[in-house]
Amino acid sequence: MTFTLKYNDIGEKREIPKDNYTIKDLLSELGLSAQTIVSKQNGELVIEGTVIEENDEIQLVQIIYGG
Amino acid sequence: MQCSKCGNPKVIIKKEQSGQLLCKDCFIESIEKKAIKTVRKEKLLDKGDKVLVALSGGKDSVTVLEVLNTFREMNIIDICAVTVDEGIANYRQDGVDIAKRHAERLGIEHKVVSLKEEYGITLDEIMQRDNHKGSCTYCGVFRRTIINKAARKMGATKIATGHNLDDEVQAIMMNYLEGNTNNLTKLGAKTESKAEEFTVKIKPLREIPEREIGLYVVAKDLEVHFDSCPYAMQSFRGEVSEVINQLAEKHPTIKYSTLRGYDKVKNILKNELKKDYSHGRCTRCGEPSANELCKACSFLEELGL
Repeated sequence: MTFTLKYNDIGEKREIPKDNYTIKDLLSELGLSAQTIVSKQNGELVIEGTVIEENDEIQLVQIIYGG
Repeated sequence: MQCSKCGNPKVIIKKEQSGQLLCKDCFIESIEKKAIKTVRKEKLLDKGDKVLVALSGGKDSVTVLEVLNTFREMNIIDICAVTVDEGIANYRQDGVDIAKRHAERLGIEHKVVSLKEEYGITLDEIMQRDNHKGSCTYCGVFRRTIINKAARKMGATKIATGHNLDDEVQAIMMNYLEGNTNNLTKLGAKTESKAEEFTVKIKPLREIPEREIGLYVVAKDLEVHFDSCPYAMQSFRGEVSEVINQLAEKHPTIKYSTLRGYDKVKNILKNELKKDYSHGRCTRCGEPSANELCKACSFLEELGL
């Protein structure tokens, strides 16, 4: 079971490691803060508690940079 | 899970401070209403105002332009914009281009003013000097001076900036931590100076969290420059911001309560601490100044310009 991650210049297929794997889980795996990112699932804005499904395209948009 | 306002199941935000869930349309409406509420509550606009938007092309200034444009469409105000090109390689040009496109889209008067044209030096060149005082020190002072001059040239009666809730709370805490009580008295939704050459400044977004402004521009598909200033991490503001955000994770209302607390004591601070400057003129550029040289000119002298 895989999904596609789009973040900055990254565009890669990743495994869904467990059931009910959410965008919040993905953000903590990537070491990113939900405070600085907004997330899209298949092109639509979603909240971080959204469960990632097989073949989803998850796009992370960084909206806040340090400083 | 569904939108707390309209029941739409496509929720895009759960507000940490209130637990409210909102869909895209209700969220966009909530941001615009909140900014308009601040404009009305703080009496930021008068009919017939010409408002100069300090337009960097980033999310905050594009949002303030978008919100103020609703007042322009109702023929309450006119809008113009200025973009300051500080001369930061591989950073500023994208924002300048985006700002130009927004001005064209809305059909508003727009000027781009560069530090190089105005002072003969870029911020990158200043940062190569051994004796520099830190990028934000120069950038803040030069940008403020350029925007003030542009407001006068363009006949603006107000200057609108994109300061958001996070910016305001950072400024309150920074000034407090540094013991800078003079600057602490100058914060707020509307700042006026006794010197009439300094145009009144307004901050319509000061009660909206930074993240919500980021979500707003993405939700509205507004073109903005999402990038980090290469000098940002060198700043004290960056450190203060990190601490406040850490606190906000466990205490989601802390930014609002800091702002509310400041607003309650603001007038007392102003009455007790505000210095009554006798405004003279800068002997070098003629701008209003409490000292012989204004801040911008004293920096230029130090830089040998």
